[in-house]
Amino acid sequence: MAVASLPHGAPDAHHGGVDQLYAETRELRLQGFLLFLVSDVVLFSSFIFAYLYMRSSGQGWPPPGIGRLDVAFAALNSVVLFGSGATMHYALENWKHGHFNRYALLMVATIILGAAFLGGQGYEYTNLIYNEHVTWAGSGVFGASFFTLTGMHGFHVFVGVWYLTILLLQSVQGIYTKDKYFGLTAGTLYWHFVDVIWVVLFSIFYLI
Amino acid sequence: MATTTEHEHEHSGGIADHIHPEPQGFIRRYVFSIDHKIIGIQYIITGFVFLMLSGLLAEVIRTQLLHPTGGFVSNDTYNEVYSVHGSAMVWLVIIPLVTGGFGNFVMPLQIGARDVAFPWLNMLSFWMFPLAGLMLFSSFLMGAPVAGWTEYPPMSLQAGPGTSMWCAAIFLIGVSSTLTGINFLVTILRMRAPGMTFTRMPLFVWAQLATAPLSMVATTALAAALAALFMERQFGVPFYDPTKGGSPLLWQHMFWFYSHPAVYIMVLPAFGVISEVLPTFSRKPIFGYKLIAFSSVAIALAGFMVWAHHMFTSGLAPYLQLPFMILTFTIAIPTGVKIFSWVATLWGGKIHFTSAMLFAVGFLALFTLGGITGIFLAAVPFDLHVHGTYFVVAHFHYVLVGGSLMGLFAGTYYWFPKMSGRMMNETLGKLHFWLFFIGFNGTFLPQHWLGILGMPRRVPVYDPQFTSWNQFSSYSSYLMTFGILLFFINLLMSIRTGKKAGANPWGARTLEWQIPSPPHYYNFKHIPTVYGLPYDFSYPLPYSGLDQELTDAPGPASTLAGAH
Repeated sequence: MAVASLPHGAPDAHHGGVDQLYAETRELRLQGFLLFLVSDVVLFSSFIFAYLYMRSSGQGWPPPGIGRLDVAFAALNSVVLFGSGATMHYALENWKHGHFNRYALLMVATIILGAAFLGGQGYEYTNLIYNEHVTWAGSGVFGASFFTLTGMHGFHVFVGVWYLTILLLQSVQGIYTKDKYFGLTAGTLYWHFVDVIWVVLFSIFYLI
Repeated sequence: MATTTEHEHEHSGGIADHIHPEPQGFIRRYVFSIDHKIIGIQYIITGFVFLMLSGLLAEVIRTQLLHPTGGFVSNDTYNEVYSVHGSAMVWLVIIPLVTGGFGNFVMPLQIGARDVAFPWLNMLSFWMFPLAGLMLFSSFLMGAPVAGWTEYPPMSLQAGPGTSMWCAAIFLIGVSSTLTGINFLVTILRMRAPGMTFTRMPLFVWAQLATAPLSMVATTALAAALAALFMERQFGVPFYDPTKGGSPLLWQHMFWFYSHPAVYIMVLPAFGVISEVLPTFSRKPIFGYKLIAFSSVAIALAGFMVWAHHMFTSGLAPYLQLPFMILTFTIAIPTGVKIFSWVATLWGGKIHFTSAMLFAVGFLALFTLGGITGIFLAAVPFDLHVHGTYFVVAHFHYVLVGGSLMGLFAGTYYWFPKMSGRMMNETLGKLHFWLFFIGFNGTFLPQHWLGILGMPRRVPVYDPQFTSWNQFSSYSSYLMTFGILLFFINLLMSIRTGKKAGANPWGARTLEWQIPSPPHYYNFKHIPTVYGLPYDFSYPLPYSGLDQELTDAPGPASTLAGAH
């Protein structure tokens, strides 16, 4: 908290100033970013509440006329997404240890896995809409809650894939250093957040 | 940050001493400014413009109700008018003014910071506000919302396209509110001056600290409810329509999960203003500093657990009514702690009845009355009787106008000298107070018994037996509006011709009064160190490092000039 402890022109300000400034800025941005994720959690929670509320007040779930969702495929797709969480984690670890090539490889893997998850979701949507005739607006609260929540999550993954791509390009350009890589930390946090949300969504839509 | 070189930071010792050079040019300084003080004033000006507009809508309502058969505007227009009046007063006037306006201007100064944590984000939050306002008022052009500020389905699903515009506008102002909440929370948690521990923070900062998580969390829940309403209206996605399996009650749950905490978003910062004004003009330490501080947090937390008391007549299960009733009663405890602490602050003080102080004392009276009727309404049997009547209208106007708006007026009279460097006219200020206070009570006091007698809210006509009290209420409301008119005249006049204020015209002790009025771009020449509470009037000021603030000594801007 004692952010003003260094007096002007103190001997160590020449070097210390830059790092201290960076450290403090990093702390602020980290906290701000975490709070942003908290508010995003609330956004998902509100829709999850809406889903559970509608589900509990209806006549059985899934409602009559709608089949159960394909758990096996979704489980496979989930493994893809969780795998990308693991590659993301090791990408950041390798960055911290200065292994740039391994970092870049793992980032590329994360991006490909994220895109593959989106592809899987696209396949699932297509199947639901064209074969099962379950749609967003035309299948009652089932379609509304399923497509809204998984769509919101898919949008977050979509944004995340672009976000990680931009981070990768930035790190290739040399914007981040071994000590100063807040963008990468934020990207990792965001990606793990997307993973955790999916754990909840998978449980409430496919398992229960 | 990453591209700066060592040379550029030769003089800096961290964020507190790190400042950007003052922006040049009118646009960068006063329009797209990232300075929290300018942004605060921008919020205040914009908020007052919307106050005038939605005040005019209020007068349309009162003029319509002069006669039992109405006739001033059509019944459909009347529905639009009260819906936009309520929405605008909540989202475009009170919330932006108490957080974005006064929070922005005062809070960073009071904690001894140079700005908020994310100045650029702050600017972004501000510019969403006038845009959202324009969107909300533009809904009049396409058939404004007609289901009141609460927009319950199914009515809000059946209304014209203006309701979708309403959704978008409120969503936008909600995003702005959320971002401001995040910004303020990080600022208060991380950017306080050395020595300013949590229990040395001014109470206005405590109030903002309690409010910020509410704006952040509750508003996001509202965003979900609004998005669902928007999707249902525009794309037919069923959430609330019972014929498609949706539930109108779902909206009520989601809406009130936000809107009850929103009540505290609106009133907690006003509590903070009162906690600054009362000790300053009583020349006496605030009574029960920690109790006032912690009760703000208690109110904020409890505010999340009481939303269903708005739904006692909506078919809420009886076994849920009792816990919500009791939880609502418990909110009266921390609120009562505050009221008694304020009264004890006045007790034995050397009271100066400036305009700011008059509004603060008026706040105490009116807010207490509004709080007491709140307890009435929390009691299920009484609520079943008066739900949807003018009793409710009277209750929430006592807390929102008598509470929040009076607090805003007190804050304006109190901090105007700091913002502008000039004093407001005290004679006009006192006239404003008395016209407003008498007019307000004349307007809303009779509505209590109109409600108990059964006059329903949101209806353009009424039973002729209520005529005389309605006319009394309407004529009083003109008096109140005239008072507000004097306030605006006072503002416009004082900003040009008010007498010079000097740094500390009130003899107040919080940090913002120890620097020039208006403050420099960089706020403090040196970040001060804090040794104690700002309310101990008998001791020397609990700060060091401020001795050059009021001298000609160069500020940090000159030492850093050209650095970036």
